[in-house]
This record gives sequence, C-alpha cells and structure tokens, in this order.
Amino acid sequence: MPRRKGVSLFLIGVLVFAIVASGCISPGEESPTSTTPSTSPTTTPSPTETTPAEKVTLKVIGPWSGAELDAFMEVIKEFEAQHPNIKVEYKTYRAEDLSTILPLQFESGDTPADVIAMWGWFIAEMGQKGHLMKLNDVINPEEYVPGILDTVTVNGDIYGAPFTAAAKPGFWYRKSFFQKHGLKPPQTWDEFVALLDQIKQIEGIKAPIVSGDSVGWPLSDVTEHFILTFGGKELQLKLINGEVKWEDPEVKDIFEQRLVPLLEAGYFSDPIEWTSAVDLWWKGDYALYFMGTWITGMVEDPNDLGLISLPGVKAMVLAPDYFMVPKYTEHPKEALELAKFLATEGQRVHVGTKSGKLATWKKVSIDDYWEPMKDVAEVVANVESAPDLDDSVGGEWQKTFWDQLKLLWVQPDRLDEVLSTLDAKFPKGG
Amino acid sequence: MNRPKNLTPLLFLLPALILMVPFVIYPVFKTIYLSFFLDGKFVGLENYREVLLSPDIVNLDRFPTKSPPWGALIHNIVWIAIHLPSTVFLGLGMAILLRREEVKGSSIIKSIVFLGMVIPMIVGGLIIRFLFEEGAGVVPAVFKALGIERLAITWTAYPETALLSAILGSIWIWTGFSMLMYSAGLASIPKEYYEAALIDGANRFQLFRNVTWPLLKPITIVVVAMTLLWDLKIFDIVYVATGGGPGGASMVLALQMWDYFARALNYNYAAVVAVLLTVLTFIPALWLLRRRE
Repeated sequence: MPRRKGVSLFLIGVLVFAIVASGCISPGEESPTSTTPSTSPTTTPSPTETTPAEKVTLKVIGPWSGAELDAFMEVIKEFEAQHPNIKVEYKTYRAEDLSTILPLQFESGDTPADVIAMWGWFIAEMGQKGHLMKLNDVINPEEYVPGILDTVTVNGDIYGAPFTAAAKPGFWYRKSFFQKHGLKPPQTWDEFVALLDQIKQIEGIKAPIVSGDSVGWPLSDVTEHFILTFGGKELQLKLINGEVKWEDPEVKDIFEQRLVPLLEAGYFSDPIEWTSAVDLWWKGDYALYFMGTWITGMVEDPNDLGLISLPGVKAMVLAPDYFMVPKYTEHPKEALELAKFLATEGQRVHVGTKSGKLATWKKVSIDDYWEPMKDVAEVVANVESAPDLDDSVGGEWQKTFWDQLKLLWVQPDRLDEVLSTLDAKFPKGG
Repeated sequence: MNRPKNLTPLLFLLPALILMVPFVIYPVFKTIYLSFFLDGKFVGLENYREVLLSPDIVNLDRFPTKSPPWGALIHNIVWIAIHLPSTVFLGLGMAILLRREEVKGSSIIKSIVFLGMVIPMIVGGLIIRFLFEEGAGVVPAVFKALGIERLAITWTAYPETALLSAILGSIWIWTGFSMLMYSAGLASIPKEYYEAALIDGANRFQLFRNVTWPLLKPITIVVVAMTLLWDLKIFDIVYVATGGGPGGASMVLALQMWDYFARALNYNYAAVVAVLLTVLTFIPALWLLRRRE
C-alpha cells in the first residue's frame, strides 16, 4: 500500500506541475538571447527555384479583420492579379498571440506563414536571432519616410518590410457637433483648455474627451502626442533610447503642466473599451476622441470628421505595419516578392481603400489616397514624423507603460509613482 | 508466465508513462532547470531572489495600508480569502435551497447558476468587464440607483476595485461548480437519517449541523481543494477583464508568469513563477489526496 500511495502521489503531483508549468517551457534554449544556427538562406534566393508555371500558395498572417481586412484584401487581390502563379491565403492573428507562438515555432525551424505582419521591435529581435530573411535586396531605404526602417534594422540588416502606417495626429471631432454648439478648433494651448471647458458645460456631455481603452495603447497615443507637442521629436527619441529618464524634469514637466491638469479637471473620461468609445463619441456623449487615422474607416460619415492637433505640435507619430519573412518559409522567392509588393506598390493600393492608412513609400502621391484621407495626408506631410514610443521599446516595458497610464488616467495624483515605475521597468541598457 | 507481481502494475502504467515522459516529466524538469539559469548561465537561486523580492510578486510598500498593487502573490491570497468561502457557502446554500421539491423551477435556476461554469473563461472575463463598466454594466448602475456615486464607476479601471471586480465575477463563475457538487452530495444522503433525527426532536439547524454538514464533508474537501487550485491558477478572467491592471492592481501569479514569458521573453523568470505556482498548488493537491484516502 505505501508503495502504491507513493506512486499515485508522484503521478498526480507531476500532472499538477505539468498543468501549471506547461506554458513556460522554453524551446530548448536556456536563454532568450541565444540563436539557432542558420540552415536556410537569409538573402534573396535565386529566381530559378520555382518554375513560372508552378502555382504556389503563400500563407500570410496579419492582425486585420472586418473592414480593415477588406482593405488589405484589395492589396492581395492586386498582387495575385500581377502574379498569376501565386495564390495568397490570409489568416488573422493578433500580434499578442503571435508573440507567444512564433518564438517557439522559429526555434523548432518552423513557421505558421510565409509572410507575417508583426511589431517592429519583435521583428528586430527575431532577425537578430537569425530566424528571418534579410530584406536588403528588396527594400531601398531611400524610397521611404526617414526613420521608418530604424525599428526593423539591426547592424545594417533590414528584417521588416514597411507597409502603410497609421498616424496619430490628434483629437477627432464631428464637424456637425462643433457647428451645432458654436465651437471652433483652438489655435493656442489656452484656447484648447477653454474649448474643453466650453464643451464640459454642454448638456448631455459626459466628458469633453473620451479615453479609449484596450490593452492600453489608446492612452499611450495621447501621451505621446503631448510629449511630441511640448518636447518634440528629439525628446521622444531620447525616451525611446533610454537617454532621458521619465522622471527627468523636462518629461515630468509635460505631465505636471499639461496632461495631469486636464485629467484632474475631468476633461478626459475614464478609459472605455475603444470601439465602444467610437460609438459613444459619434452619438454625442463625448466631443473629442484621440485616435489614429484608421478611425476614418470606422465612422458612418468620414466627411463629417474634423481634426484638432495640440496647438504647436512639432511632430506626429507614424506607426507603420511591418512584414517579415521567416527563413523557414518553403517559398522564399515568392514570399520576398510579396514582401516587396507590400512595401511598394501594395501601399499605393492600400491608401486608395478605406484603410485610413498613410503611405511610408515616398512614391505614393496624395492623388492615390481615398478622398477623406487626402486632407489628413497633407496635414501629416507638413509635420515631422516620429516613431511610436511604446512600439519601439516593446517587450515587458510596453505593457507596463500602458498599464501605468491606465493608473494615471484615474488617479493623476500618483504621477510620481507612475514615472518612477516607468524608469524602473525600462530595459536595462536600452 | 510467472511474472513478478510488482511488474504487473508497471505494465499497465507503461502506455501512460510513454506519453508522460516527453510531454509532462521532461517539461517539468526542464522548467525547474530553466529557473536556475539566466542568459545561458547557471545563477543558482538568483532568479528566485529577483522574482520573489520584486514588487510585482510581493509589494510590502503598499500592502496592507495602501490600495493595490500589492503584488501578484498577495493578490492570489486575497483572491482565495474572498473567493473560497464565498463560493463554498453560496454553492452549499443554493444547493440546500434548491433541493426542495416545492421550489418551482429549481432545475432552471440551477442551470442558470451553472451557466458560469460552462461558458469559456475568456467569455466570462469579457462579461465581467462589461458587468462592471460604467454606462454598460449592471453593477455601477445599481450603485448609481442607490446614490452611491463612489461605486458607480468602471470598476476595472480603478486600482481599488479592479481586483475585487475580477474576484466577484469569478464567484459568479465558480459557484455553479460548488452548487453542483453539493447538490450531488445532498442527493446521496438517505432520507431516513433526517427522519430519525426529526423523531429525536432535532430542529432545522441541528439537522444541518449534525446530519447534513458531516455527511457533506467529503464533498466539501473536494470543493475546497478544487477551488484553491482554481484560484491559484486563475489567469484567463484577469487577462481579459483587467489585464492585471491598472498599474498591476489586479495582477495574479499566472498572468505574471505569462508576462515574463510572452512580453519580457524571459523564460527563466517565467520558470521561477511556474515552480512557485506548482509548489503552492501541490499543498492543496496533496491535502486533497490524503483526506480522500
């Protein structure tokens, strides 16, 4: 009996442990920074690998669904029309989910797709580990908006093909709402604050600005807009590179003097699920909504949209989507062909749809854009573009940033604690 | 065919063991192994020191005098302290109330209560999120109707209420399990025991105390142990409802392990939390086994 008891105890114990631990087994390496020896080509393969008559099916993974997917599929249709020997199958995966799947698959020499849209920082990390094909032969850096390739370039090797970008240009409003209440876009900071106060007095308004909530990124977009307006692109870049602390007086001042007073005055709503927030804002519960340019494709009448950037804004975040080509693809030539198309002519197609995105390839002209986006494209073209702060830093810190901003939004008096946490969690040596 | 007696059970175990070695036993030991390494170097207990002393796990600067975050380990303990007795006694109470034949629609009510158990946890988390959202959820609406404006807020957005909202939501989800177990237990108690006690002059409370409760003890052990295990492993509800925020105010161990793994790509720290969770879950698992034997 004691032996049986021991065996059953051991087996059940092992099972319990396995249930808990099964999620955190490394793919056979002790260190996340270790690399797998390369066995596949990492540069453009010879074009003779497949015959022109051979029909190839490429798998593409991206985060889009619904209307965003419709817009992306227009690009794919065009690619297939230009490449009759290639068929493209698309699957939707969130980047958050991919971040857990891909490292394991890559370590085992496998990939779920031939071309994958992913975060820039993640692409750089996987590229550095030797899992991705280099794209230097298909991407010409001179043809792109300056700085757009920085996130996906490691030691001169380009691992990400830039696609179109969302800009985070400012606070959107309904022109009809402003007309109805006699409101005017502000030209100075004081006018901006006065406008918020004026909106707050309107009957039926819950708060002047609705705060979108998701995992946290809508709040980080607002915060970055304040940093870019009052600190400029230089400060944003220094924060990304860890050259300036969050508790630095220059940074703290932006929070203390600009953002926190607005939060304390109740000009921002509590964070609300961001797609629900679109509906609430559109129906008039709120007057302003800080969101990326993709909002143009999410509202009933994009011609009713107006945009208010913070007066004196010096730069705007341009957040591109990037595609990577894992070196484990079975069709490297075709995958690179698709990556190249997405980074070039595919952008022209995409900005012509209701995607609400902007081209990062400089050969796309304003005339190529969907009508409601032409004005936005011109506004963005007239200011400096800056990389998305949290997307550039990435990793655990990105989630911390989002999470701490959620805290700040409801308890602005905890600013010191928030800034201190952001410094403490910032990647070492970053 | 004279096979040694002690070989027979091993032969029966062999098919399971063949599967368990690569899929369970190897990962278990690999996880333990990983927890002692960092960047490919053996660091002894350094990872454990770093993780356990991190305010992410235990934050004594804020606990217990200030509002959360108190650290994932403390949040799990708070979760157990509220969730365990609530689900046990709610489940027991509902099972007793709905046992009576005169309760019309008891099976429908039981089905509704049990609904929380059958829906995917991710959906449960989403429901919790909207249940506690100002403008959409019933909870803030009730407090608003009662004139308690302080609680007529989006509970998941505030550090004081985020953890509590997830715990309260999980009580709704898990009470169905407890109720179902107790219902089965109550059905197995012979009526004669109650009749004998009634003849002896026992009142309702005495019936419960001296007949029902002792005979439900094996069920209670299972419910308590399973609830403890569930509370320690809690992940999906928090992931969806609050994401562990704001400011880490509702972070739990399993989600912290996930963050180390998926966000920080630090498999070694994730392994440390996995080992810690396993040690913690071993305690109720072993207790359950011993009590059942």
